[in-house]
Amino acid sequence: MKALLFSDEPKNLKEIITYFSNEMEVTAISPEDDSVKKYGAKKVYFYKDGFSDNISNAIKKLNDTVKPDYIFISSTILGREIAGIVSSKLNEPCISEIFAFKPGKMATTKRFFYGGKTVLEEESNCKLFTVSPGLTEAKEISNESESENLTLESTNYRLIDRKEKKMGDSDIAEAKIIVSIGRGIGSKENIDKIMPLVDALHAKLAGSRPICLDYKWLSEDQQIGLSGKKVRPDIYIALGISGQIQHIAGIRGAKTIVAINKDKSAPIFEECDYGIVGDLFKIVSALVNKINN
Amino acid sequence: MEIVVLIKQTVDMDQLKLNENSEPITENLPLKVDVLSKNAIEAAVQLKEKYSAHVTGIVFGTEKSTSAMKEAYAMGVDDGIILTGYKKTAPSITAAVLNNKLKDMKFDLIILGNQSSDSYSGLLAGTLASKLGIPVMSNAVGIDVKNENANVTIEGDKYDFVEEAKMPCIISVAQEINTPRLPNVMQIMSAGKKKIDIEDSGAVYNDNIHILSNKAPENDRKKMIYEKEDEGIDSIARILKGVAK
Repeated sequence: MKALLFSDEPKNLKEIITYFSNEMEVTAISPEDDSVKKYGAKKVYFYKDGFSDNISNAIKKLNDTVKPDYIFISSTILGREIAGIVSSKLNEPCISEIFAFKPGKMATTKRFFYGGKTVLEEESNCKLFTVSPGLTEAKEISNESESENLTLESTNYRLIDRKEKKMGDSDIAEAKIIVSIGRGIGSKENIDKIMPLVDALHAKLAGSRPICLDYKWLSEDQQIGLSGKKVRPDIYIALGISGQIQHIAGIRGAKTIVAINKDKSAPIFEECDYGIVGDLFKIVSALVNKINN
Repeated sequence: MEIVVLIKQTVDMDQLKLNENSEPITENLPLKVDVLSKNAIEAAVQLKEKYSAHVTGIVFGTEKSTSAMKEAYAMGVDDGIILTGYKKTAPSITAAVLNNKLKDMKFDLIILGNQSSDSYSGLLAGTLASKLGIPVMSNAVGIDVKNENANVTIEGDKYDFVEEAKMPCIISVAQEINTPRLPNVMQIMSAGKKKIDIEDSGAVYNDNIHILSNKAPENDRKKMIYEKEDEGIDSIARILKGVAK
């Protein structure tokens, strides 16, 4: 079986290559980044500065030459745009945001539905899928993939300005322990009161959608949830997070979830392993004392 | 300038309950305009106010979608078309239906929400753009029009950038682009009297995708909740210490 993979985000691509290369012969399309060659793809095609039109043309051409059984595109902003275009060009429906895949005469896939409330398990003869980030942990292997540079066609888009985003200091996707804050934190200044816990546990700091996108107290790459990052730490500590279903969808991979919230009826208490009802600042400071002693 | 805004009507997922087999109970759920469709409507109406454009709303839905169109009218959409025959989220079929309608319409911009809140698939913008043979720009947080070009500010995953493409083009918007307006009583009343075109879409759902199950994810969390602040601290501190080592 053969698979053609694309992501504009090397980190996601490494995950997808790891997930599929055991069962399939993988050809990957990646932005220039040599480290992508270490994860088990047979061949990696590198491109530079692509847009949705010329990258989707390149995918279509490789589909004609590689003749893959399946095409997997990672669900990033550009990835979704490209998946839509490829779906139309190949006249193939696309199943979106899958987080599990079993090949077969009819392939079986899983994805979240109703905003994360349910999981849809589907059987289809589809060829094209977008893959949710955080599919699996990327694993390096000893063999290196062959590689070739792709020359992209001209584009209909013009890049006028590009600013690198202010990123948080931490890559939360790899963290063993995550301390995550929600609206219950009250103010940006109060984040300082949480930091002793983050430090004591050598944890990474993350937040819910309102904290990262609406109030911008943390950076966007620290946002956890259906529309942010899906994480799988050993311990996830939710401070003042009510536990909207979209947030829960981002933390289902956590081994243990600890929730602290003053509202006894917060939905997070239905989705945690351990919970304390009470003032989060008092509890955090008591926890820090215990951990440091 | 002619703007088309694509409006999605969804079930109110906040009110979705599960039955004893953890399956969603979808009967009699209230319908609403999807969150990001409201941002798309607002973006279209703001452009209308800035450039004195004309805004047409299109809902691919059912006979029950008139409430969504009335809401769009109250926010400032000028004309509305409901294409009936919607059965389920299937971006390639939705795109085919919309392409069928739009290919004979005159427009400069098509605006829609970046991802819908049921499936988060985010595929419609690209699929439809490819069918219509026009450019697409996704996750916009700002839209400006300069001569025959659309100038779009995009919040990317790693970069924020400004991109330009020739109109007509499709722009999908992010939630951060604006705060949708709340229409006043007068606007809601007059919206109720406006005419809505209702057409049969002729949609055919011919994909070979079968649902094996649709259930709430299994929840095997321990749910040990301490209702007094000092009670749980010892045991939770011990667990944290064990992992942090």
